[in-house]
Amino acid sequence: MPDSSSLPNNVGRREPISWQGPIVDRRGNPFHETVLEAAVLFIVACILGLGYNAITGRGVFGFAPAAPVQLSGSVEPAPTFITFEEAVKFYTSGKAVFVDARNEYDYKVGHIKGAINIPLKEFDNRRSLLGTYRKDSLLIAYCDGVECGSSIDLGRRLAGAGFNHVKIFFGGWNEWRMHDQPIEQ
Amino acid sequence: MNALNSALSNGYLVLFARVMLGLVFLVAALDKITDPVSFAASIDNYRILPHSISLVLATILPWLELLCAFALFFGIAVHGSALLTCAMLTFFTFAVISALHRGLDISCGCFTQDPSVQKIGWTKVGENLGMIASSVYLLFSDGKRLSLEHFYRSRTLIFAVLLAGASTALSG
Repeated sequence: MPDSSSLPNNVGRREPISWQGPIVDRRGNPFHETVLEAAVLFIVACILGLGYNAITGRGVFGFAPAAPVQLSGSVEPAPTFITFEEAVKFYTSGKAVFVDARNEYDYKVGHIKGAINIPLKEFDNRRSLLGTYRKDSLLIAYCDGVECGSSIDLGRRLAGAGFNHVKIFFGGWNEWRMHDQPIEQ
Repeated sequence: MNALNSALSNGYLVLFARVMLGLVFLVAALDKITDPVSFAASIDNYRILPHSISLVLATILPWLELLCAFALFFGIAVHGSALLTCAMLTFFTFAVISALHRGLDISCGCFTQDPSVQKIGWTKVGENLGMIASSVYLLFSDGKRLSLEHFYRSRTLIFAVLLAGASTALSG
């Protein structure tokens, strides 16, 4: 029977599990290796994601407010932002169509009086609602307000669909309601 | 403790967890990659982050999911992938719980960006907790069965064949 003190530590028994987390991984894969693997995967994902979207013009590269939108060979202005006062002016003129970019539930809870609902995610399904409007109609896209950007994307899609008088009311539903303007529920 | 040790080094169990989690993340990534704007809108619906951050997440997150899916599936950097899936799932779960707490009736945006399906609910939280458990299991596990990393480290014939096949395919 050999003296147990002469044997290596790991002979003849399993190492106990440490519940201090994988800081010192008992199986020879130290935590820093795990973090390093995760960091490499994250960096590669950033490169792939940014690269792919830069090439295809999607994601963070999908909206350039200053860039004109190319429509059927002619250059049209990109959707412009309007203030609350301008939105009220267009509303009272009766010539503007307000387009609500929020989801159907929020629209039903309350919306700018007379607005139509085209949630950004359902743009392709709901764009038939725009069929009755001329391409030079004044369309004003809005969503909840400054914490929401769906109005920007909707405005861009409306411009892409051939509407050449698209504006974005970035103050949106919150600003409209705050000033007790006409609403529908 | 022995039972736990056995489970952590059980090659078949680890392989099963890797493949299942990999498949889930693969399916989740594909729809988001093809339509990042809709995915950003799905993130916006949770009303946690500003739109600019949602767009950045929608640009990068699907690719991170895809990479983790492949890494888990093929057994490369399993611990790193498991750490990332665990972090992502924890973030998603907090977002769902927060939305439920605020009474939001929104779709999850997890596997499809169609707003009419996959409404969030406590079932979704349960699913996520199950996947978090799988990720934690993989993070602590040691099973190397059918993993490219293991083949590489043990210099097996199969790895050589795979490399030869890949190089032939690339050159051809």
